Amino acid sequence: MNNKNYYVPHGTYWPIIGSVGLTLLFIGFANQMHGAEWGVSVMLLGASIVVFMLFGWFGKVINESVNGLYNKKVDKTFRWGMGWFIFSEVMFFAAFFGALFYARVLSVPWLGGADNNMFSGATDALDMTKYIWEGFQSAWPLINTPAEVGQSGVKFATGFYPVNTWGLPLINTALLLTSSVTITFAHHAIREDKRNILIFWMILTIALGVAFLGFQIAEYGHAYHEGLKLTSGIYGSIFYLLTGFHGFHVTLGTIMIVVILYRIQKGHFTSDKHFAFEAVAWYWHFVDVVWLGLFIFVYWI
Amino acid sequence: MLINYIVIATIIVIFITLGSAFVGMLKGDKKGSDKFFKSLKLRIILSILLFIFLIFAGILGWVEPNGAIF
Repeated sequence: MNNKNYYVPHGTYWPIIGSVGLTLLFIGFANQMHGAEWGVSVMLLGASIVVFMLFGWFGKVINESVNGLYNKKVDKTFRWGMGWFIFSEVMFFAAFFGALFYARVLSVPWLGGADNNMFSGATDALDMTKYIWEGFQSAWPLINTPAEVGQSGVKFATGFYPVNTWGLPLINTALLLTSSVTITFAHHAIREDKRNILIFWMILTIALGVAFLGFQIAEYGHAYHEGLKLTSGIYGSIFYLLTGFHGFHVTLGTIMIVVILYRIQKGHFTSDKHFAFEAVAWYWHFVDVVWLGLFIFVYWI
Repeated sequence: MLINYIVIATIIVIFITLGSAFVGMLKGDKKGSDKFFKSLKLRIILSILLFIFLIFAGILGWVEPNGAIF
């Protein structure tokens, strides 16, 4: 092991390959949106290059790590890299939860006259809410948009919400919490160097993650069928953005756990050196906490 | 309303345990790794307790879930 204070990395071509892949991905996507026939193929080419870059670059780093080329300083930089990534993730979800709280606690009540503004003290003669739209009611969840605009297509009576909190959301919360328990057992096993037990708990965690995603897709189908769409008022928008991005994170987390399982099976990691596992475990716990917040603030209170 | 405060306070404590694990992960030595593992264990225990509490609160009618259809 190299114990120098600084690590000077060798030259690498992976960043430029990643840049080319991402550029092609977005050129393809933008042109596909404008109706170009070649858009999709360029998008797929870009995505393939990005995946190739991920395998190549991460594989190289993993190889160097396994061969003991990295010293303590490098380990620290990996930890800080993960740290900043986590910070950006926390800010990302804080923005969406912030939008939910702002709409629910401040802006929608304001439109109903809370905190003394132009909508306050409305009588029939002086009902300003008609300027928002005819029949507007300040209530949560706000699902309806002006009928003339007809964005959502379906009008719900205010206060009605098509997803049963006691059904799928409850099951999904239980599934995700259980998956955090299983990854904690896996964490215990890796610290004790018990490989077979570790692999068992990892597989169980992956299965629970996949089950969660399956139920989430079913719930989307249900909600969409009932008429709750991305365009269904401020509630529909926030609901799909929050749960959608959360689902995307669960997908990413599941892929990360699969990669870690593959590395465990290849004999990587020891009881006191397993940063990749720690990073993924923290990510999984974080995604679970985000869901708990979602479950409570969207579905429950 | 009291229920809401209890729930929100628990969520905040859960966030603190997650943050404490984060600090342990950044440190990275044996001490950091222990702190990391302990915090995450506490985090999952608190989350499960909160979940069970919510179910009881719902069954006993202390909170009404957002527009649930029964």
